[in-house]
Amino acid sequence: MGQKLYPRATVKKIVKAHSNCSISKNADVMIFLDYMLFMQNLVKEASIEAKKGGERGITARSVKKVTADSLAKFKG
Amino acid sequence: MARESRPLDATPRAASADPISNFRRSLIQTPGSQRRPLGLSASGRKIAPPTATPHARAAFRTIDSRRAAIFTPHRARRKSVREARDSPRDLLLGLGRVLAKKTEPIVTSSSSPGDTPNTSRSDDDSHETTLGPLHMSYDDDDEADLPKRPRLSLPIDREDDSGSDDLVPHRSILLDNEDNFTMQSVEMPRRAYSEGPGGRLSMNSTRMSDFFNTNDMLHSEDFGRESGMFPPINAIEEEGTFTMADIMSPERLESDAGRRETGHESDFGIHVPVDIDDQTSFVINPEVQSSPVRQPADLDEPVYEDFAPMEDARSDSYDGGVDDGPDDFGDVGNLPDMEDEDLDNAANETTRMDTGNITETEVLTHAQRAELRAAAAARKKRINISKHGIQYPSLPPAVVKRLAQNFAKTSGAKGKITPDAMNAIMQASDWFFEQLGEDLEAYSKHAGRNTINESDVITLMRRQRHINSQTTPFALASRYLPRELLQDLRMPPPVLSKIRRKTGEEAAPEAEEDESVT
Repeated sequence: MGQKLYPRATVKKIVKAHSNCSISKNADVMIFLDYMLFMQNLVKEASIEAKKGGERGITARSVKKVTADSLAKFKG
Repeated sequence: MARESRPLDATPRAASADPISNFRRSLIQTPGSQRRPLGLSASGRKIAPPTATPHARAAFRTIDSRRAAIFTPHRARRKSVREARDSPRDLLLGLGRVLAKKTEPIVTSSSSPGDTPNTSRSDDDSHETTLGPLHMSYDDDDEADLPKRPRLSLPIDREDDSGSDDLVPHRSILLDNEDNFTMQSVEMPRRAYSEGPGGRLSMNSTRMSDFFNTNDMLHSEDFGRESGMFPPINAIEEEGTFTMADIMSPERLESDAGRRETGHESDFGIHVPVDIDDQTSFVINPEVQSSPVRQPADLDEPVYEDFAPMEDARSDSYDGGVDDGPDDFGDVGNLPDMEDEDLDNAANETTRMDTGNITETEVLTHAQRAELRAAAAARKKRINISKHGIQYPSLPPAVVKRLAQNFAKTSGAKGKITPDAMNAIMQASDWFFEQLGEDLEAYSKHAGRNTINESDVITLMRRQRHINSQTTPFALASRYLPRELLQDLRMPPPVLSKIRRKTGEEAAPEAEEDESVT
């Protein structure tokens, strides 16, 4: 990858805002790793759902349908 | 496959000449092609199998065997060639047949000078033109047997055997032999046929029961379908439902009316006039849409009133976000609850306690403020406000899109993601970070810290079942993260040691693996 994978500062800001905590130096890498896992799960489920619904690609409908499940799966 | 391919090649030859057919299967097919047009069709079907699946091939084999069993004469003295396949000694019969071909003139000569048959043949001389060639063709098949049957061989009898007995008696015998297959083959369609009306009846009954359930407003879809299927029944029973609804709960209609009047949900506002029209003419119009729209509203009264506007607000703002972009995305991030909370804070600050009756000016100012903020900052990043009142940007869409495309490719779908889907994914990721932040906050606060450590994240991932005895966090990281970030993970030694220690506490082998890996 030529460009960097993700803006670390942005992720830190996001988590900081939601948790109202400071974040240790490299925790955001792990957080982003978790986010990647989430995205993988979401996209995979959405594509399965899209195939089931006979859609061609991933659509908003399939993503919305799957979002709740994958969020629940990633509930700590 | 080689065996299968042989008879394919052999079928045209077999039709032309017998003696080539030394193999069993070719023996099987040759008479089929000779005798019956059905056999030809069977052989013609056999062309399909090599391309077909093994099951299909087996099916073809059984079909052909059935056909052969049906159409072969089954007398003991007169062994048909199709049976030859079944009994192992028929190889010998095949040889005998080949040899019998050579003795053909002898047979014909022996049969022709026969004394007793002469009278009959002389009787049949007029018919020889028609029946004669048939005899000869049958003789070709059964010449092996002909010498065994010496003087009784009356061609007329054979004709009777072959012609009359072929179909009926042999079928019955073979049915006795192969009860299962043929009987099943006969009965299968019967079952299907019998199941059909039964299922329909049951469907009718269930629909009727569903229909009565719809009095309780449970199954809206079935209701709608039924109205489409059987208008008159519907008419009767919907009248019943309406009266029931009116009697049982007049409040529902009132609530509907109230909802229409307020019309705080744009979606429902659109649908409402349709419903009003339908209440008078609903019986006539079998509209599928109208009933589900109206009934869940009746169903979930207490829950739905709270729930629906939230969803609608989200979806509306969401769809609006697609169109307008930044202005509405400020609303997307700010869930209605959050706005209310912020409003509550503001109200508490100003010591106005009635949160429900906040003046609209404040709402407007607040919303306007948010919009202004969003509009101001939306050029670069959308800014949302978290539960704690802290602004935060959402992830840049390019990053999310790249991630999603990569994962979509790996999950088998095309890498293309529509902008709508992209917005949905952005929404999901916002929610994900919100949830994750709250969880991490809970973990760190529980540990008595005010800082989110990597151990918190690892705990979270363990609870998400992403880290277990099989997979270490480092393995996950090395699988998903690029080298640079891995190096960031690796570079500071204390961080790694933390990971190791964490895993070492839980499971010893993991730590060993980690050490070996690193």
